[in-house]
Amino acid sequence: MTIDAAYLLQLTLNGIALGLLYALIAVGLSLIFGVMEIINFAHGELLMLGAFAMTFALPVVGLLYWPALAASLFATMLAGFVIFEILLVRLKPDEFERSILITLGLSIILIHTVQYLFTATPRMVDTQYGFDGVAIGTIRLTWTRLIGAGAAIVAFTGLYLTLRFTQFGRAMRAIAQNREAALMVGIRPRTVARNAVILAAGLCGLAGSALAPIQLVTPYMGQFLIFKAFALVIIGGLGNIPGAVVAAVALGLVESWIGGFFTAAWQEGAVFVIMIVVLMLRPDGLFKRGGMRVG
Amino acid sequence: MKLALAFLGALAFAALPFLTSSNYIIGVGISALTFTVAAAALNLVYGFAGLLSFAQLGFWGIGGYAAALTVVTFGGTFWEGVLWAALLNGAIALVVGYPTLRTNRHAFVISTLTFALLVTLIARDWVSLTRGPLGIPNLPSPEAFGQRFDTPAKFYWIAWAFAVATIAFLYALCSSRIGRTLVAIKQNEPLTRAQGISPMPYKLAAFAVGAAITGAAGGVYCFELRIIDPTFLDFYYMQTFLIIVIIGGTGSFWGVIAAGIALSALPEVLRFSEDLRMIIYGVILVAAMFVMPSGVAGWLRERRLTAMREALR
Repeated sequence: MTIDAAYLLQLTLNGIALGLLYALIAVGLSLIFGVMEIINFAHGELLMLGAFAMTFALPVVGLLYWPALAASLFATMLAGFVIFEILLVRLKPDEFERSILITLGLSIILIHTVQYLFTATPRMVDTQYGFDGVAIGTIRLTWTRLIGAGAAIVAFTGLYLTLRFTQFGRAMRAIAQNREAALMVGIRPRTVARNAVILAAGLCGLAGSALAPIQLVTPYMGQFLIFKAFALVIIGGLGNIPGAVVAAVALGLVESWIGGFFTAAWQEGAVFVIMIVVLMLRPDGLFKRGGMRVG
Repeated sequence: MKLALAFLGALAFAALPFLTSSNYIIGVGISALTFTVAAAALNLVYGFAGLLSFAQLGFWGIGGYAAALTVVTFGGTFWEGVLWAALLNGAIALVVGYPTLRTNRHAFVISTLTFALLVTLIARDWVSLTRGPLGIPNLPSPEAFGQRFDTPAKFYWIAWAFAVATIAFLYALCSSRIGRTLVAIKQNEPLTRAQGISPMPYKLAAFAVGAAITGAAGGVYCFELRIIDPTFLDFYYMQTFLIIVIIGGTGSFWGVIAAGIALSALPEVLRFSEDLRMIIYGVILVAAMFVMPSGVAGWLRERRLTAMREALR
């Protein structure tokens, strides 16, 4: 089999776009884990809510992309806030198993409520861009994909700058690195945890809204992605944000390449095989965690 | 006392086919028995050894497929199928358990979960072995001593004998020195190490025994369904096992058994709407975690302790 350079490049670009979306989900998971030491099983459902918000917002604003995106981001951040205030705030540190079971219950409730209200029929949504795109030679990228990838890059830059240079972000890193010491210098874990959940929900909402015009929107869409995101945070090292980003983009590339040359079954299975191998070699993930690092 | 009650309970359950001729009720009874066994196995892993394992779902599915394939593809009997289901799962659990148990408990939960999903993917995509989404229909009914167990009432005896045998075995295991060591590891691993006990073999053994029993239960259950397809690995089963263990009380042997019998009837009661049923399941799970984090058994234990403190005052 000869490998066509243009085809390979197309696969690579698709892979990067896919990987950046994975990264948005995985980073949110890592952020919540870093600050609260819990794993949010309902994270994929935030993505699903974002995608549903986008499907409902787009027709209202006359298919304009950006206002719909803003509305959907606001909706998911609000959902994150409500989830935190009602459920997560009651969790004490070191109640890891309980946190999993509670967020698992929440995920069941969200999926089936959405399915009950809006049925499981997959929805398609059109934007102002439709299927237009840019073509460079034989390579074609649709605007919706490009904007999704661009928004993800902007979001990561923003997240990096926030965590590194603002008081808001420093407090988060402080809590992640040493809870007691952070308490002693007057940082309130409750506020910081709330901010982290809202921020992570926003990132997830962004991923959901970016995905809505690209693939079918169903109540179950979050589940498929979240399991990959779990594997990614394990591969990258729990609570390690750059690790999660690197692992996510790499996975997007690997999946896209495998999907281009082998059958789809291998594409789906790749992440699990990689995870088992990484765990065998490095039980703490590829990039070992030492507090929550951003740079 | 508890053992006498358990004995009476087992006898009462054995009498079910004499009390009713309704195949529906007997079907619910078979599900109750197999689900209780799977939940008791999860209780060994999560309640006693303290390992929250989502891999049970994968073992349940592997067990079902192993038993079905032994009979349909490799021409074995039902009994060999269930035996293979148990052995294969035990072996897989050792291979999967060793690397994942070395990680911390956070990573363990996630990697067992991804294992379960990997099994689902294999069941769906390895079409030449598992026949993919179509599944394997028309599983034959088991045979022994020239007798065909082809009616629900007859199959019920198999499920009953299987449940009684495995629960008795698990009880012996959990109340033995090994069971106590597992609880010690769960409560304080460094202290257990300091006592000269290496936790790894115990954890691995609990994981493998739990996997073998879950697999055998899956093998029995798929012959009750008469068909196996990838929906046998639906996350719904994992949720059912977990809810049984949590409501019963993690680490309480008889609490989980009682909850298994009681709660297996619940989905049937809630069957009026598929969607609402799952919503109610989710609400039960969340509410139970807030109201009774240690289950009914834990709640009773706490009440007894409070009463004793009051009496001493």
